[in-house]
Amino acid sequence: MTRTRKPGVNRRATLAMMGAGAATLAMPWVARAQAKTIKVGMPTILSGRVAQLGTSSRNGVMIEVDKVNAAGGLAGRQIEMVIRDSKGQPQEAARVARELVNTDGCELLIDAEASSGAFAVHEVARDLGVLCIHTNSETSALTADPKQHIPNAFRTARQGVHDSIVGGSYAASISKAKGLKKWATCAPDYAYGRDTTGEFTTYLKRFAPDTEIISESWPKLFQADYTEVVTKILQAKPQALYSCLWGGDLTSYIDQANIYALFSQMEVFAVNMADYTALTVVKNLPKGIHSGNRYIKTYPATAENAAWGDAYKAKYNEYPTNWSWENATAIMLLAEASKKTNSADGKKLAEALRGLKIKSPFGADGTVTMRAEDQTLVGYAIGWGTTIPQEPYVPQVQAGDWKTIFELEAEWKKSKGYT
Amino acid sequence: MTELQAERAAMVPRSQARPQRWRYLDVSIALAAFLVLAMLPMFIGSKALLDFVIRCSAFGLFATSLNLLVGFTGMVSFGHGMFFGLGAYSFGLIMQRTGVPVPVAFVATLVITTIVAAVIGAICVRLKEIYFAFVTLAFQMLIHSTILSWVSLTGGDQGLRGGIPRPAFFGIDLTNHVHLYITSCALLVTGLLLMRQIAQSPFGYTLRMIRDNANRASFVGIDVWRAKLTIFVLAALFASTGGVIMALFVSGAYPEFAYWTISGEGIFINMLGGVTTFLGPMVGTVLLLILNDTVTRMTEYYGIVLGIVILFFAIGLRKGLMDFAVEWYAQRRSGPAERG
Repeated sequence: MTRTRKPGVNRRATLAMMGAGAATLAMPWVARAQAKTIKVGMPTILSGRVAQLGTSSRNGVMIEVDKVNAAGGLAGRQIEMVIRDSKGQPQEAARVARELVNTDGCELLIDAEASSGAFAVHEVARDLGVLCIHTNSETSALTADPKQHIPNAFRTARQGVHDSIVGGSYAASISKAKGLKKWATCAPDYAYGRDTTGEFTTYLKRFAPDTEIISESWPKLFQADYTEVVTKILQAKPQALYSCLWGGDLTSYIDQANIYALFSQMEVFAVNMADYTALTVVKNLPKGIHSGNRYIKTYPATAENAAWGDAYKAKYNEYPTNWSWENATAIMLLAEASKKTNSADGKKLAEALRGLKIKSPFGADGTVTMRAEDQTLVGYAIGWGTTIPQEPYVPQVQAGDWKTIFELEAEWKKSKGYT
Repeated sequence: MTELQAERAAMVPRSQARPQRWRYLDVSIALAAFLVLAMLPMFIGSKALLDFVIRCSAFGLFATSLNLLVGFTGMVSFGHGMFFGLGAYSFGLIMQRTGVPVPVAFVATLVITTIVAAVIGAICVRLKEIYFAFVTLAFQMLIHSTILSWVSLTGGDQGLRGGIPRPAFFGIDLTNHVHLYITSCALLVTGLLLMRQIAQSPFGYTLRMIRDNANRASFVGIDVWRAKLTIFVLAALFASTGGVIMALFVSGAYPEFAYWTISGEGIFINMLGGVTTFLGPMVGTVLLLILNDTVTRMTEYYGIVLGIVILFFAIGLRKGLMDFAVEWYAQRRSGPAERG
């Protein structure tokens, strides 16, 4: 009996393919970086609805990495960024972070994840002991809660409670001047929206005790139609409106509220307005919206900041976002720490980072500080102003007072049982 | 006819001697697989490979348990991910809040899952096809929303923060990477073996009969509702175990674990691996994770690549990889004989 072969894949070919497959799989685990470069891993969100978070974080990092490399790198070692998409899933963020350290040989982590992803990467940093800088998560608990504290994790992002204190005191002063007693709030229905609104109203009432909240709206995150929210607010007839909607949600909200002439009927305080992602997208930016600064090249009104914003625009053909400066700051701090220690070793860098004060275009007084006690950034530019429909969009920004912030932050920490 | 007789009736096509032999074979395969996996860290020092196997254990248990519903019983659940999330959250919360030993928390998680699955199942399994799929999806969204809004318990959309404490028990220290790896492998192999036993038991054949013709099963005296509910709860238990492994791996639990995308991933794994063979979902898991890990390394346009692969399987192969392999093997076997 002769066995005739059917054309197609035979056993030998199958074995060969399996072998090749196994080899491909094993490759990354075998290859270990021996080079003189220092690899810095960066898990972030590069796909989906908030992909801009990842792309503008990456831009912010790269613009500074190029400068550091041109100047000789971290203690003589060129930085090689390994930036990977976590798709916004925390378990992916954890996996990617572990892979970056364990497989790709990254010695430092820049965690450019948002909300829950940042906490997932934080646990990886706790497990692996690798130096990790959180650059995008503004959740106060990440550094304020002593249970979260680990010596190798830092944050170069804003902190929610700082924004609330400054926003509350600014809103209260306007409130007193203009007699705004009845307030409404409108915020996206998730942790950030609820916490930020809660903290803002706490501080508003603290500075202006005669204000009251007469209406609250909680549209869903990424909601498309805000008609019901807008009409609800108009019916309540408040004198002022607070909102922490952001990005696309804020711009659709403003476009839709414009149809109802909402902005001529009350003072609007939108903390996330003064970011180019919102300012440049709104069709008819109303005059006089009060906003906190996210990133704007005219505040701090220094030559350094304007130059940084312009250089970024020249390179990437768009203005920086709030995420851009937060990520750039991480690299600036690392570079300074490595200069001080003449080393790129994670432990030594961490030691140097604690309490490190550097010159920065984003500092309220030209410097920012990595506070030693809770390893989070302080002294960054923080203030509020009102919008005009064209550049520079927010001409006058009233600076927040860091002395007040520190006092009230300490009080807030105590009330939360953190100290 | 009593249920017992019905079960016997379901066994008719097989000879009496075979089940025993099959069972021993399964157990020895499982033991061998476990030994190979457990020895792996001695030869390969790669932590990434261990991570990979741990994640395979979590998703493999989840996907295989989904196949008990989809492939064996014909119940396409779109909400199976809720039990994955429930397992992760229950385990994480028990460990964080009570500080009981790990095995106690694990058993308690299974008890909680049983109760929740029994309640949800009792409502869902009466429905058929698309209605069943949608009601399971609705329950999943309910659990997901509960996790999001019950901030004081679950931490809302930030997830369970501060890490899950993992005190050592019986000399096993789950904070140790290798210990966690071996525990995951043990859970995976035990889980697969148990599911295999369920699938090959008379009860498993009852499920196939329900899948093929529920009316007929009902007419021969099988309580279809009870059988469906039983497998719904059993499948939930294995999915929940997968969630526990994931919670241990990331040292936390996040609302995304209970989101519909996890269920979608489960369905996709089943499509990829094939639903007609027992190990199809396991193969699908390995494929999907390799695909995910390698593509994410190379590009951020992961979605496009995944979409093309789905199209290839859905339109090109029209079946899962294991289905394809089994058919191909059968053809090869029978081919020469036919010609000879």
